[in-house]
Amino acid sequence: MTALVSETPHRVRHVARGVPVSGDERSFGAGASRFVTPALDLDALVWPRSEPGPAFDTPVAEIMDVLVELGSWLERDPDGLVADALAAARRTNPLPAGVLTEAYASLGRTFTRRTMEFMIEQELGGADVLDGWRTISGTPSGREVRVRAFPARVVHVLAGNAPGVGAVSLLRAALTKGVNLFKLPSNDLYSTSLLLAGLHAVAPGHPTSRSCSAAYWRGGDAEVESVLFRPQFFDKLAAWGGEASLRSARAYVGPGFELVSFDPKTSVSLIGREAFASAESLRAAAEAAATDIMLMDQQACAASRFQYVEGSAAEADRFAAALLPRLGVARRLGSAVGNPVPADIREEVEALRDLAPYARVFGGYEGSGLVVRTEEPVDFHPENKVANVVPVDRLEDALGRINVATQSVGVYPASRKASLRDALAAAGAQRVVTLGNVPVVEAGLPHDGFYPLQRLVRWVSDEG
Amino acid sequence: MDQASRALLDMGQAPELYRYAPEELLPLHLEAADAVVAERRQQVPILDRRAREAGIDRISRKSDLVPLLFPHSTYKSYPTSFVEKKRWKDLARWLTTLSSDDATTVDFDGVTDEDEWVDRLRENGHFVIATSGTTGKCSFLRHSTEDRARKADAFARQLGWPFARADGSRSYFWLGPHIGVNSAMDAATLGASLWSTPDNAFFLTDERLRLTDISRLAAMRRRMADGVATPGEIAAFEKQQQARSQALYPGIDAFIDRLLDRRNEKLSISGTWAQHLLVRDRARERGIPDGAFHPESIVSAGGGIKNVALPEDYQEQVARFYGDVVRTGTYGMTEMFQLMNRCEKLRYHLPPGLLPLVLDQAGETLLNTEDVTGEVVVGRFAFVDFAITGRWSGTITSDRVEFDTGAHCLCGRPGPTILDTITRYRTDDDTIGCAGTIDGYIRGALAS
Repeated sequence: MTALVSETPHRVRHVARGVPVSGDERSFGAGASRFVTPALDLDALVWPRSEPGPAFDTPVAEIMDVLVELGSWLERDPDGLVADALAAARRTNPLPAGVLTEAYASLGRTFTRRTMEFMIEQELGGADVLDGWRTISGTPSGREVRVRAFPARVVHVLAGNAPGVGAVSLLRAALTKGVNLFKLPSNDLYSTSLLLAGLHAVAPGHPTSRSCSAAYWRGGDAEVESVLFRPQFFDKLAAWGGEASLRSARAYVGPGFELVSFDPKTSVSLIGREAFASAESLRAAAEAAATDIMLMDQQACAASRFQYVEGSAAEADRFAAALLPRLGVARRLGSAVGNPVPADIREEVEALRDLAPYARVFGGYEGSGLVVRTEEPVDFHPENKVANVVPVDRLEDALGRINVATQSVGVYPASRKASLRDALAAAGAQRVVTLGNVPVVEAGLPHDGFYPLQRLVRWVSDEG
Repeated sequence: MDQASRALLDMGQAPELYRYAPEELLPLHLEAADAVVAERRQQVPILDRRAREAGIDRISRKSDLVPLLFPHSTYKSYPTSFVEKKRWKDLARWLTTLSSDDATTVDFDGVTDEDEWVDRLRENGHFVIATSGTTGKCSFLRHSTEDRARKADAFARQLGWPFARADGSRSYFWLGPHIGVNSAMDAATLGASLWSTPDNAFFLTDERLRLTDISRLAAMRRRMADGVATPGEIAAFEKQQQARSQALYPGIDAFIDRLLDRRNEKLSISGTWAQHLLVRDRARERGIPDGAFHPESIVSAGGGIKNVALPEDYQEQVARFYGDVVRTGTYGMTEMFQLMNRCEKLRYHLPPGLLPLVLDQAGETLLNTEDVTGEVVVGRFAFVDFAITGRWSGTITSDRVEFDTGAHCLCGRPGPTILDTITRYRTDDDTIGCAGTIDGYIRGALAS
């Protein structure tokens, strides 16, 4: 009988305009990773354009009340649904159990009133423009003009590497009042349905709840996407992750159906020669770098991968040696011993071990951290707590490695940021942070070079 | 070379190559594997580290080999900058770490690109074969001069089996280039020398297939990633790439006409599926009906279906066109010198000097263990090729095979076989993450 139990597929729930739907009509994957979903009822997932969305006229203050309730529900877990979702995720999500548990535990904190007020103030200049028509004075023509951040119809193609992606997407979706269909990623099948189930639990039938649907279909499934990805149903495609999610979506983007892209990103650290001033500064720089590297065990785009160290190869080796033990220390969203280093990275690192002085390798593959010092950045994409340390004569020499795919740049010490930030931005970087503070991702600040709330609404004017 | 390896390679002589029962081969396989691993550990540091980490002191069971297998990517694990910055000595140093002999003593003075680097190594007793990756990074695999001789010997025995012998009596048509350092060029050269004579061997082009063209792609990607490529530079590059992909074709009509003119003779024709369809189209233009070829002609087709629009039934179309000819089948790869031949019952047989391992998809657990007999195991194919001494030949592939451990094939010959159902394991698992690299931002001709 044990065989039967282990072959029971995981059940993934859909949400149809606020109402959770269970079922096992469709099956995906094989073996241990097999999962079943309800039938895909496209009519139930979308909203007719002939009528306004359920929350178009719901005051933001009321929506915030509901979201705060949701946050509290997530922390209290009165129905055990959070625990269920976490248990299911632990069986299928590649993240180590500790990191995943912590990520689920912090879901509720996404929905604090202070955060929401800050977001609306920062990104839109206040709730007035969401709830009604903001008067614009001083137009050159002298006319009286009003604008509104009007709710939009958005299909979200979510990334699954961190449960926070679904949470922040829901937060933005709810505050902007539009109708939203969330396409679940196969690497996180549970967290977004959980959030919507929570919404259904705390405010059944509330317009915000009725404005959200979630479903799984295989990314790129033309039978589904060619039908849904149309201006008749949606204004925007909010897609995370680039190539994989855009493989087919690209064909559907056109007049009336625009792309809001959360592109795939790499993050790096710039460590100034001040790190070598004393044993204490070296320790501090290594600790700060480790904090940035270990975010979600390096599965997040903000997690640092390349460490450009201002100094000689020998100094870079000193830094690497100081960094290694810090990668084995448990953090809030990083494990002491995570997943082993993936085989493809291991192959490349193995080759580098025999190429001294070009390269030097610190640590092993068991998941406690691995540091590879090379003359130039490695060809592979470091992950699972693998840091690539590259010596540079001056931090400015690392600018050539910064491009539009660079998201967060952690700088040590903080005093070096001011002289570097314009050049970093010019090269394409989107976020300059004091080293060690990268994991503090604050809603309401720019994301990948734009204010998401501004992109998730339709700006409409009423002109005199 | 150790005695057991030599004995295995001496077995399986023509005309009946595959006549040994697995229980007869097993002790020799284990003895040879143990000797080879012991020797190779002294030479290849990565193998030695793997053996130490896995706690493998000697090979007494087939499963002892599993943690020691190298994936094909091992042979392109050098830093790309070694090529870009022409650090030939460093590239040789990397190659040496994966080889049984020292390639760093070679003088690389005057070498300007990786084609010349391979040429120079070959001139100095290191028979390096390259593969051209679509990513723009080539693999380099070192063999000894004796290895190459053994490969030629294996080809001489195996080509055409069991339907024909490669005895130099045919006109040979290879629908591709034959000069260059990758394994297809090597196969073209060996095939021509075995099936044909120099006067009767024809190649689509005598232009050299250059690795440099591939690494130029990598260098261009790097320049785009670094943001230093100008629009004019990209336009020129794309034009050049298009010209290159069409460059093989100016002479193709004359080449195909010559082939068709000889259709009543015994031929050996090798090409991609798309090219065979071109031959068919030209024949139709000339009013040549289907099935017009000499019945002893040998037609082989394969590969080259990436980025090519083919009709769904392309295999049937090609079969119908050539009609009643000899269709041999081989299963092999760059990493392997001894091929596997397909018998009358469409199953691939294994030469005695090849030790087959079938693993689970993850590549961690051996499925065709010593006690498994009489059933078909399905898994990832891996092998040790005892004809190769220039490097560690234990290799794990990305191929999914159905492996029949039965005592006999349907054709009556002894030994295990691989069914004619070989496919690649695919990795598109529909997971999406927000982390990624600049590679995702480079598109067009460069992305293919």
